Amino acid sequence: MTVGQISSVAADRPDAPASAGRAPAVGGPQTSMTARRHRAFYMFTSPWIIGFVLLTIAPMVYALWLSFTTFDGISPNWKYVGLGNYRELLNDSVTWAALGRAGLFAVTSVPLSIIAGLALAVLVNRPIKARGLFRTLLYLPAVVPPVGAGLAFKLLFDQNSGASNGVLTFFGFDAVGWLADPYARYVLLMTVLWAAGNVMIISLAGLQDVPRELHEAARIDGASAWRTFRSITVPLLSPVLLFQTVTGMIASVQTIMPLLLAPLGDTSGITTVPQSNYLYMMHVFAQYFALGRYGYASALLWVLFVLILVVTGLIFKFTSGVVFYNVDPEAKK
Amino acid sequence: MTATSLPPKSFTAEARVRVRVKRLVLYTVLVSVTGLFLGPFGWLILSGLKTQGELAASPVHWLPDVFQWHNFADAFTQIDFLGYARNSLVIALLYATLVTLSSAWVGFGFARLDAPGKKVLFGVLLGSMMLPQMVTLLPTYLIFAKVGMVDTYWPWVLWGLSAAPYLVFLFRQFFAGMPRELEEAAIIDGCGYTSIFWRIFLPQSWPVLSASFIIAFTWTWGDYIAPQLLLSTDRTTLAVAVMTTYVNEGGTPVPELQAAASVMYVVPILLIFLVAQRGFVAGMSTSGLK
Repeated sequence: MTVGQISSVAADRPDAPASAGRAPAVGGPQTSMTARRHRAFYMFTSPWIIGFVLLTIAPMVYALWLSFTTFDGISPNWKYVGLGNYRELLNDSVTWAALGRAGLFAVTSVPLSIIAGLALAVLVNRPIKARGLFRTLLYLPAVVPPVGAGLAFKLLFDQNSGASNGVLTFFGFDAVGWLADPYARYVLLMTVLWAAGNVMIISLAGLQDVPRELHEAARIDGASAWRTFRSITVPLLSPVLLFQTVTGMIASVQTIMPLLLAPLGDTSGITTVPQSNYLYMMHVFAQYFALGRYGYASALLWVLFVLILVVTGLIFKFTSGVVFYNVDPEAKK
Repeated sequence: MTATSLPPKSFTAEARVRVRVKRLVLYTVLVSVTGLFLGPFGWLILSGLKTQGELAASPVHWLPDVFQWHNFADAFTQIDFLGYARNSLVIALLYATLVTLSSAWVGFGFARLDAPGKKVLFGVLLGSMMLPQMVTLLPTYLIFAKVGMVDTYWPWVLWGLSAAPYLVFLFRQFFAGMPRELEEAAIIDGCGYTSIFWRIFLPQSWPVLSASFIIAFTWTWGDYIAPQLLLSTDRTTLAVAVMTTYVNEGGTPVPELQAAASVMYVVPILLIFLVAQRGFVAGMSTSGLK
């Protein structure tokens, strides 16, 4: 049981109720019972189904329709432009630059925060004193709401009075304009790393499920700590890491942190976001709120949506052979 | 083999030193990393205790000359702090209560019942977790504006009633692990599924109910963008107020009050986390075990 605990909980149960030999011994009431269960299933799942249709599908379809128009919310004579917005989008160098920055941010922030979280997990998984305290303290930043985190980093990296420049000047370096180009991107990255406790907690749960015998066997075989980590820990954690990669990527795409790090961060303050933090979502915001171009912004959102689908699909496809799903043979019965 | 398990004395002493050095390095790394992680929040608190002059000083003024505790009181009075806190509280309680109950309800359906199309629906549910909320939020805002729900708390009621996929998954996992005899006995007694859910399953799921409630509460308390889009300046939440309203007449930010206010905004969440840590962490880690 120990070996399969990670995935048996999740992977093997979805279909269990359906296949667990539900048919009652009595023939007569069986059909009415089944019909009752079917009705009950839809009664129970309907809040989500209705909500999903009204609050997810409908807005998406609405956005798709808007993306073919010049709708701006104010002027009454908006018109259907077909693929015009999409054509404009493809020729818009600002869009491409913002997309490139978002991509760069995703491929740096996601692996870095996973590595940091994993390192923290390994660190606090050792037999140390006050282990619980260290775990709590390291996880704490991940609970801090974005507004608090943004403000803390804004003060920490303030060009004049920030502690970071205080340290730099103490060691004889020049003060750096952290919140402006080109350094703002590093501050943004650090806000993500600050919340690495998320990955740490989830990896810890996985680490504790790695059977002790495997580590002992590796030690007897003379494997180094690094080798053990690479060949035992990481493969056993791979489903967790895959999940982190996908959710991390999606989180990175929709982060509003650049807004919160900018001077006087509110939606109208979109104009103060430094260029290096002007990610794709910031471009969407600018089109939406600063310019009121709902049609064009909707096209931007749909392109983003399709891109995320494609990238997620590719991640799953390319990791299908690498990710190790440990299926508990006992759970199959 | 037996020979190596009894090493000479000098070797043990050397090994002991090596172990001690190793441990020293480990604790040094641990303490400095922890310090680094607490640093930003510590700096926020410190900033809330400085004067405006100290916060503008260059080079950095590490510690305030006099701790300006009154900043915290001033942050209360400069804006209607309690009013905004109440708005945040109302929205968060409303949403957390509704979404916990609705997610438990839906989770029960996915865990304990079946019907044609269940597999597809469950796939859609899992897939929708990967949907970036920002993509739906912006058009949703336009729709809410059209039907006159902007500047009301209705959006949170609707979001709450329609269950959150992540929490549904949490409840489904929990309910699926409960013994089948529970509902079989009830069915024989003529109980409907509704009363099975309310009387048998729900009373036994306190750990998940509280985890779900806390997760939903902290989401809503921490959310910046939805209230910023949907609510006017008076009815908005503390998150938006802390971010945008600490400015003087000239429109320039008052950083020391903003820092003090954001400490007071963040601390309740930290306290909730510290008190309810177990459930919180259990909820977080289940999500990774897909």
